Amino acid sequence: MSAALPPAAAAPQGNGLTELLGGLLPDGLPFWALALTGAVVSFAIIFAFIAVLAMFATWLERKVAGHIQVRYGPMRTGAWHGWAQALADGVKLLIKEDLVLTSADKPLFKLAPMVVLSTALAAFVALPFGPNAIVADLDLGIYFIIAISSITTFGVIMAGWGSNNKWSLYGAMREAAQVASYEIPLGLSLMMPVMYFGSLSLNHAGAMQSGWYGMHWYVFSDAFWIAIPSFALFFTAALAETKRAPFDLPESESELVAGFHTEYSGIRFAFFFMEEYAAMYLMSAVGTALWFGAWNFPGLSLLEGTVLHAPLAVAAFVTKSLLLVFVMMWVRWTVPRIRIDQVMALGYKYLTPLCLLMILLAASWEWVKAIAFGA
Amino acid sequence: MATLQEPAAPASDRSYWGNVWHAVKSTAVGMGITFRYLWTKPFTTQYPDERLPVDGRYRGIHYLEQDLCIYCQACAKACPVDCIDMGAQRHGKELEWEFFSIDYQKCMFCELCVYPCPKDCIHMGEQYSLVTEDKSDFLLELTSWQGLTEEQKLRIAEAEAAKAAKKAAAAKAKAAKEAAEAAAEPAEPEEGKE
Repeated sequence: MSAALPPAAAAPQGNGLTELLGGLLPDGLPFWALALTGAVVSFAIIFAFIAVLAMFATWLERKVAGHIQVRYGPMRTGAWHGWAQALADGVKLLIKEDLVLTSADKPLFKLAPMVVLSTALAAFVALPFGPNAIVADLDLGIYFIIAISSITTFGVIMAGWGSNNKWSLYGAMREAAQVASYEIPLGLSLMMPVMYFGSLSLNHAGAMQSGWYGMHWYVFSDAFWIAIPSFALFFTAALAETKRAPFDLPESESELVAGFHTEYSGIRFAFFFMEEYAAMYLMSAVGTALWFGAWNFPGLSLLEGTVLHAPLAVAAFVTKSLLLVFVMMWVRWTVPRIRIDQVMALGYKYLTPLCLLMILLAASWEWVKAIAFGA
Repeated sequence: MATLQEPAAPASDRSYWGNVWHAVKSTAVGMGITFRYLWTKPFTTQYPDERLPVDGRYRGIHYLEQDLCIYCQACAKACPVDCIDMGAQRHGKELEWEFFSIDYQKCMFCELCVYPCPKDCIHMGEQYSLVTEDKSDFLLELTSWQGLTEEQKLRIAEAEAAKAAKKAAAAKAKAAKEAAEAAAEPAEPEEGKE
């Protein structure tokens, strides 16, 4: 590690929320009551955040799609540029009839959207929105996120199998093949920042990037020549992992109707929809936390100790993540969907070997630094 | 002269690093193009609020120059679907309009009513959307006034006054003539008597 980085001990420890609750609730309360209250409050905050985010992101997606195609997108719902379109869509999905096919495998069919959404919700637990704004500051935060987000695949396979529909099953099988292959480059591409920061904790990574008045991001560090290609590899794998175009083969509406959620409507469909946007945000947030300085921006350190520090840090993190979400949308409306064999070739022949090469380079660079500047 | 572009080399001709470079470059170029388009002004119009201008030859909902119309029924007779109906009362040269309606449930916008008009007073307009929840709204009234206008009333009064004056003048002339005749007559019998 170079001398410019703060020591690991300087990373903020603990969870602001549990400390806050511990102060608010009366003393002498058993630990399980405190933990339960903390869990319920965290769930409410995360769920509200994801719901608002999904609404904003659907509106943004349609606006980006529209303007890239030189049209407006939604304009009439709500007074300003169709801002209430997502709200109207949400209400429509809520009041639609809850259809379950008679030929469907009912327990699987009903369980699948819940599995898919709850895994997306669970992954948000380890996201650091600010220096202390993290539900659970896990030492293995990155590992936890990768592990829990791969469970989404089970939900998708359950949906595809339970629907008893050939299109759904095709979509689910493609999802399984695609996610299983892209887990490898996704996990490997995260190893470059992990090696640089020497930690799997996202909170720690954020704290490590607070130097240089908030500009010591991984992409601007001495290892920028590793950071930039590794981010490209991570972003490509993340697109495939979140089933976004050009890797939207599990859905591919031109061939498979709607892929694994062909038979879903109403609120169950809304769950899949929310999961897609939650997963997009999750991947963007991981990218932000590791490559783009998490909550740090120039001048933030000057506000340390003031009331503004925490809200501005959270706002910076959410803004940076939403910018990456915008890039995902931008890619979707630029690059056409690729064939399944091309998806497999890209995953196994290109991303995985290139990730291994980058790991070799990153490890060598850490070794060179250790020899040249002393560990 | 248009030049044919060299087709891109098939994937098999490229090396491994060539493939990587090609993928990165083509994605970057494509994203540059879409980013440029993202900021261009949208080409579409917000339809009910703003409408594109229609061509001069466009056959939309009719409009009638009512003051020119002479109630000759030529358009109604020309109409292949009998959708034009009109009613008026004549007061000498003036027309007291009751209605001039076109049923747009029947009208097929063929423009055949326009050609026979001797006064060139019925035209195809630029209006094209008739959106309504009630079928009876398709029966459109083309007259802009019913009955007699003040001007018409004035002209009728003038014509009647002129007619009355003419009549009075004629009566006066007749009376004068009769008087003259009566004045001349007594001489004749006198002559006869003699």
